Amino acid sequence: MKRLLPLIAAASLLASCGEKKPELHLYTWDDYLNPDLITKFEEEYNCRLVVDIFDSNEAMLAKLKAGATGYDVLVPTSYMVKVLAREGMIVELDKSKLPNLQHVDPDYLTSLAFDKEMKWSVPYMLAPTGIAYVSDRVENIEPTWRVFERADLKGRMTLLNDSRETLGAALKTLGFSINTLDPAQIGQAKDLVISWKKNLAKFESDQYDSGLASAEFFVSQAYAGDAFQAQEDNEKIEFILPAEGTSVACDDLVISKNAPNPELAYAFINFLTEPANAAANMEYIYYLAPNKSAYELVSQEFREIDSLFLDAETMKKCEVIDDLGENNKLYHDAWDLVRAAQ
Amino acid sequence: MKSSRIPAFILSLVLVFLYLPILLLVVNSFNEARYSSTWGGFTLKWYEALLDRQNRDLWDAAQRTLLIALASSGISMILGTLSACALHWYRSRLQRINYGILYLPIVIPDLLMGISLLLFLVALGVTLGSGTILIAHVTFCASFVTVVVLGRLQGFDENVIAAARDLGASKWVIIRRIILPLLAPGIVAGGLLAFTLSVDDYVITFFVTGPGSTTLPLKIYSMVKHSKDLPIINAISTLFLILTFLIVWLSQRLTEHQPNRDSP
Repeated sequence: MKRLLPLIAAASLLASCGEKKPELHLYTWDDYLNPDLITKFEEEYNCRLVVDIFDSNEAMLAKLKAGATGYDVLVPTSYMVKVLAREGMIVELDKSKLPNLQHVDPDYLTSLAFDKEMKWSVPYMLAPTGIAYVSDRVENIEPTWRVFERADLKGRMTLLNDSRETLGAALKTLGFSINTLDPAQIGQAKDLVISWKKNLAKFESDQYDSGLASAEFFVSQAYAGDAFQAQEDNEKIEFILPAEGTSVACDDLVISKNAPNPELAYAFINFLTEPANAAANMEYIYYLAPNKSAYELVSQEFREIDSLFLDAETMKKCEVIDDLGENNKLYHDAWDLVRAAQ
Repeated sequence: MKSSRIPAFILSLVLVFLYLPILLLVVNSFNEARYSSTWGGFTLKWYEALLDRQNRDLWDAAQRTLLIALASSGISMILGTLSACALHWYRSRLQRINYGILYLPIVIPDLLMGISLLLFLVALGVTLGSGTILIAHVTFCASFVTVVVLGRLQGFDENVIAAARDLGASKWVIIRRIILPLLAPGIVAGGLLAFTLSVDDYVITFFVTGPGSTTLPLKIYSMVKHSKDLPIINAISTLFLILTFLIVWLSQRLTEHQPNRDSP
């Protein structure tokens, strides 16, 4: 045995020489991180960043609940953060390890965020729903949801095929909350959407961006990401936010309960909240990273996109769509009536 | 008698229905415009984008998918052939049950299979990754190979084996010179089926995949939801299409020549 000891020591030394770099596993949406930042993070922390992707919050939840492990940082949408926290699947953040949290936009936190104290999550990227229109085909578009009342654009407009977004637009127009549980308010919103419906080409969630690019549609209720993409094909497309307010979707960074490498996970979240990195990231993704210090670091051209850089005033009017649990039925029922209406 | 035109008409309809979407995909991979509804001119930029460093992970995924498909079709060709022979030649009361068990992965919904595999692997404490995807793919691919090879065995002339034995051939020679060549078309066809099933499986793979082992179907699904460079999918699909046609063409040549070689 004694003679073996040096051998063992040598073997373990060899093993440690060939030791692999530590790995951080990120579970996120596709194309949702500037590739330059991946390289930068890998160099700064002498590690490997492995990115895995999911295509819906529900799919991610299902997979984690079934017991899949090995992911450090997850990027769920705000409402899913609540679910993950309730199920005890993510850790309470230790803020002493995240000094860059001081840069997070306080206006966003107070007016929009669910997790206002950043107890579980750090906001990553947000994007509003708004109105996209083809500027050389329509005249004097006002920034209001009431544009869908215009009979002169009949058959050339689309609303999203999504009960919460579409009824949400109507609720905002009427001055109610997007997450209201009052059946009377939802009823009024339903009637408003039905009155808009006769001017619509259709309810469309997937193809409206190509419809805008080819000017088949002139005005669409649109997600910011889709609208900016369509702009690359048709520069005449404009994207505005209605004055009544709208819905904002936000994805957050959280750390999985069974993260293999929590230290690196903290380092990564802190790294992304670094203003320079947040700036580089939002110019790549074309969403808004709610990071006050980063607003000063982006290019002039990007900074001038008003529909993305929500000011405090606009933010107050916007809301994040919440998961209402059993009360979702209120919206589903109203939506069924909208779909059935002639 | 004049032959009816109806069959030709139906045939052309079927061909259009099957191949027009594929043709559109290929055409769109050269489309300058981001959306397929408009033609923005000829471009190779989506193919160039494939070579970008940014899309390194797309290539990683493609490579991983091919490796898993090759390995799983290889393993299932061996397992499937063995099980088909066992089912065909040995008789016992359990055979019906064995057959049922082998048939199950074909008829069971993918969703069920994915979740049960995941629960099982997690309970065993296996680390999820390419290895578990391989295991999962073999579980359903082997069944397909078995069924195809069994079909081939139905028309198998047992007298050939008896004749070989009479002439003094050893067991090994019989397997190598008689059984395998005769079953080869079935094995190859089953293997190809397994390969294509493995390449495009999404549901099962989604559940059993682990950190760092995204396959092409998973990647493409999430690109559809979130990517800025959607038309890249057209480009990589076109490349895969060419690869698939090559494989099919190759396998057809192989199976065509097989019998000719043995005939005097």
